Amino acid sequence: MEVLVLKDLKTVPDIVHEYNPKELKGQYLIIDNGSFQCRAGFANKKQPQLIFKNLVCKPRKDRNKKETKEEIQQQAPPATLIGNDIVNIEALRFQLRTQFDKNVVTHYFLQEQIFDYIFTHLGINTEGKVNHPIIMTEALVNPNYCRSLMSELLFECYQVPTVFYGIDSLFSFNFNDDIKGTALIVSLGYYTTHVIPFIDGQQVTDKIRRINVGGFHMLTYIHRLMQLKYPMHVNNITLSRIEELFHEHCFIANDYIDSLKKWACHDYYDTHIKKIQLPYTQASAPTQLTAEQKIEKKKEMSRRLAEINARKREERLIEEEDQLARLEEILESYDDEEDSEEFEMGLKEFNLNSYEELEKTIAATRTRIDKIKAKMQAAETGVIEEKPVVIPQPPDGVNVEVWLNQLREKKNTILEKKQVRKQRRIDLAKRRTAAAQERMRIISRLAGKEKGTDDFGSRDEDWNIYKKISREQDSDSEVENEKLLELDEILRHYDPMMNAEEDEKMKMTPAEYHQLHFAVESIRGAELLFQPSMMGICEAGLSETIDYVLKLFSAENQQRLVDNIFITGGIAKLPGLKERLMKELMEIRPFQSTFSVKLANDPSLDCWNGMKKFATTTENIANKCSISQQEYLEFGGEYLKENCLSNRYFKSPIERQDNSMM
Amino acid sequence: MQEMPIFKSKTMQESGVKKRLWKSLKQIQTSERNLYGLNSEAVLYSSINAPPSFKPPKKYSDMSGLIASYCCPQSKIFYHNSEEYKIVKKMPSDIVKGYLTLRGATSLV
Repeated sequence: MEVLVLKDLKTVPDIVHEYNPKELKGQYLIIDNGSFQCRAGFANKKQPQLIFKNLVCKPRKDRNKKETKEEIQQQAPPATLIGNDIVNIEALRFQLRTQFDKNVVTHYFLQEQIFDYIFTHLGINTEGKVNHPIIMTEALVNPNYCRSLMSELLFECYQVPTVFYGIDSLFSFNFNDDIKGTALIVSLGYYTTHVIPFIDGQQVTDKIRRINVGGFHMLTYIHRLMQLKYPMHVNNITLSRIEELFHEHCFIANDYIDSLKKWACHDYYDTHIKKIQLPYTQASAPTQLTAEQKIEKKKEMSRRLAEINARKREERLIEEEDQLARLEEILESYDDEEDSEEFEMGLKEFNLNSYEELEKTIAATRTRIDKIKAKMQAAETGVIEEKPVVIPQPPDGVNVEVWLNQLREKKNTILEKKQVRKQRRIDLAKRRTAAAQERMRIISRLAGKEKGTDDFGSRDEDWNIYKKISREQDSDSEVENEKLLELDEILRHYDPMMNAEEDEKMKMTPAEYHQLHFAVESIRGAELLFQPSMMGICEAGLSETIDYVLKLFSAENQQRLVDNIFITGGIAKLPGLKERLMKELMEIRPFQSTFSVKLANDPSLDCWNGMKKFATTTENIANKCSISQQEYLEFGGEYLKENCLSNRYFKSPIERQDNSMM
Repeated sequence: MQEMPIFKSKTMQESGVKKRLWKSLKQIQTSERNLYGLNSEAVLYSSINAPPSFKPPKKYSDMSGLIASYCCPQSKIFYHNSEEYKIVKKMPSDIVKGYLTLRGATSLV
């Protein structure tokens, strides 16, 4: 068991690189435009100069603030933040936008802002032109529409001389292996996973398959799971923290079912659980009072209460005595015949009608005064009449322990009933719950009965249905509450530590309270790759898709493909992936057949490295296969020169015009 | 207005101001399919989707992720053992809904 402290790393804003026109003249500018990260830099650099998340933070205007026009003009609009400029990503989570829809760029205004960011930070300062040939990635089987927009942006807005579009996983393969060879390329991306059969230096386009599951799904899955597991920490469980956990503590189980069986064991759980410490502020806990202090405090409180009561009684006594005096006065005036008017007035004053009533009132007042006096005396002498507390004894012949246990059970059943009712109440209050729907169903059935055939009410049980649909019957019954109190009383008498024990259980240090248990989650997220059904996605998992793709080939080619399985893409960094794939392949492939699985040297950077290799070692091919501005103007934006590293180009058919009708 | 970077073409400077609606990938896929028709040999974005899974989905406990042999009849939550069932019974309905949505098991009502 270990307690992990989150690092909560912050990004460092990128510097603006110096632009040296002499050194960089004619150099390829390489952009690996991934849906998770963008990596960009010149081909003569060792590694990409810029690596940032492909995110744009578009600040929103504060709608609550109403500003005058002048103020708006004075204030510069809040700057759009891009990539590593977004230092505190969680604060801006809801304002983040990306140019990607799945793995395809669809939002070209955001892409333009990203390009601005890249070129600015590379220090490009040529006027009206980015004078570098570009090599960049695009999605596998990128729609022509998207390519045409990208070309439009690059050629018209930045006036680039040439562009080469390639596929990220093929570049990575180019860096790690012979691009003329044969391989089954498995590319694990942020939104999608591709299985690409690659034979003799050519991708077999129609047999490529894409699983729409990637790192993004794994992250959101774990994120949501943790939030549901710890609803009290919802806001503390941020996506960036989950990302950190995912990168450092998640892996792929070799045998998922077997691992789950292990996790079900308490011992295994205790030794393998990872506890994640969320940051928290130490609340200044109230100083613990000792038992004696507590008693002292209680005494003090009761003394004060007694004082207040005594004062109240005194006040009431005076009041009552005053009233008595006044009443007696009236009584006297009755005897005096001259004062009959005064007597009448006095009666009215007390809302009385006759002499008899007056006498009654006087008697009642006297008894009240007597009572108050008696009470005051009792309080002074400290003798409080105490009702003798009768604690029920266990019935004869039953062990006290057994009896108590029975009582405890009774108490628990009552508590459970209460809980169930409470849940039902909550459920009924909401619309889309099973309970509420059942209620609506009964109501509509009651209302929908046909006339004439209705024999409702002929049996007494029929009327129970109204109890069922009533919202009121769920209030906790008075009888039960009393019974519960009674049981509590008895239990407390016999077992004064009852509550203390429970308290002890509930007591957690604030640090423990802020700990997340990261158990099966460490393998659960990545398992989505093999079982998308866990998230309700009905697509086949990775091994099933590999099997499917392989079966599209002849036995000979199948063997050639599995002899060189190449894995690349950021998710490939998850530990255990290779071993798991080997195991899955063992199940798929014929008995005692061979296969080999190879991992990219650096799964996330090798795409950029491959592009660099392509630009520097095979410059003539790169030159030949790039689309020039001239060709863009001639063939249109979607035009693509095919190459072993690029997509296939299927020219869009000219939109058929329906001439036959004319 | 933010200052235009120097490397941008001057003629394009105004176009960036205009608001433009960008098609979503779904819309692009639909128009692509319509454009090429059904019998086209072209490989489109939508034609390389993975096949549906032929295996029955395995059931895992919604809370712990362990193998789930049981399903709560009221809430439809999968659970591993009686201990978990105790929690399931007391689970507030928003958490139940969250788990079901995550698993893609919410019925549309």
